[in-house]
Amino acid sequence: MFDKHKGNRPSAQEEPAKKTAPPMTSTPPAASMATESVAMIGEGISVTGDVNATSNLKVGGVIEGRSVSSSQNVEVSEAGIVKASISAKEVRISGQVAGDISGSEKVLITRTGRVKGNIVSPRVQLDDGALFRGSIDMNPGKAAGSKPAQPAAVSEAKTAAGSTSMGSKSLGADAVTDSSGQGKRAG
Amino acid sequence: MTAAAIAEDMGRLANPAGPIIDRQQSKLLSAMLQRISGGRRITVLDVGPALSETVEFFSRYHCRLHFVDLIDEPFLQPREPKKRLSQQQLSKCFTDHLALPEGTQLDICLFGDFLNFLDDTALRAFNSALRPYLHSGTRAHGFGVHHRAVKLEYRQYGIIRHDTVSVRKRNNSALKYQPHSQIEVAEMLSGFAFERGLLLPNGKLEMILHSKPGPSNDGGGG
Repeated sequence: MFDKHKGNRPSAQEEPAKKTAPPMTSTPPAASMATESVAMIGEGISVTGDVNATSNLKVGGVIEGRSVSSSQNVEVSEAGIVKASISAKEVRISGQVAGDISGSEKVLITRTGRVKGNIVSPRVQLDDGALFRGSIDMNPGKAAGSKPAQPAAVSEAKTAAGSTSMGSKSLGADAVTDSSGQGKRAG
Repeated sequence: MTAAAIAEDMGRLANPAGPIIDRQQSKLLSAMLQRISGGRRITVLDVGPALSETVEFFSRYHCRLHFVDLIDEPFLQPREPKKRLSQQQLSKCFTDHLALPEGTQLDICLFGDFLNFLDDTALRAFNSALRPYLHSGTRAHGFGVHHRAVKLEYRQYGIIRHDTVSVRKRNNSALKYQPHSQIEVAEMLSGFAFERGLLLPNGKLEMILHSKPGPSNDGGGG
């Protein structure tokens, strides 16, 4: 980094940096969700276990588990609480998240968002007022549109007890599972 | 953990940053940041809150940012003399809260006003906790005071551009203002040496520090 100490850097990676990454647009994943299928975990719904979605996923309820993943986008709305790692193309947080976040394209924490964990994404945006504690790993040189990086726990999640796989549907109280695989209604 | 417990835990995250009250030109910061070469990943530690402008500034770099807002941590709060933590205990608290992955080598440390709110023991402990993560190219930016009579409030700083920092008011912090002279900082923050200083009109001393070789801790105890 610093020219006169070039030889001393322990693990410098020769990735191109200072790229002119396209500016973050304020267009949230929710905007694209409007025209695509969205799986919802609504307010008042509580899920204990892992969630895998093949469509966009919107979380307004509570998820506690190891991983929440989608091959598309994930949005945690203002009322949403997630205690698990999140992995998707684009991740938008307006609620509360305790866990690591991986966005293969972008991660956005809005002004109401609170995140405690580590973020890995080519592009990360914090809106004014957002609360964040942890680390942010950014690499604007990484091409967008690559497959979402999967946290270690995610690959196991599909077989884990209590995992919930979702296509395009709204998750009602009857569809909620707990860690033992049994349905329960949120309190 | 219930939703309420999660929410309570998140509530302890940090005080929301106040609005930007000033934008300050900084030649020193500019000099430090311009040394960042284009192709390397940089690792940054900011001991203040994660601010939108700082994240945006670094978003053009291949980098890892560690935000650890320490000013309101309970272990730093004033205590009765009998209950005060030793330097070793404080150092462990700092290490635990920094939670830097093993092998992390910091390129840039952003101290802001933090050093002015640590007593001597805490400052030495902070130095010990940082030591393992410094390398010969580590630089730090922060603010001290020209002399101890200067009265200052805690401010939060973000980076808007290479040569411009944002200044924000901090919501209440219980930590006592405990300014150190330049000589004291040099002695207690022994992992660093002064590189450049610039006296600002309000009596603040903007400073750039660079790491200096030494033991992985300064032998502090008790």
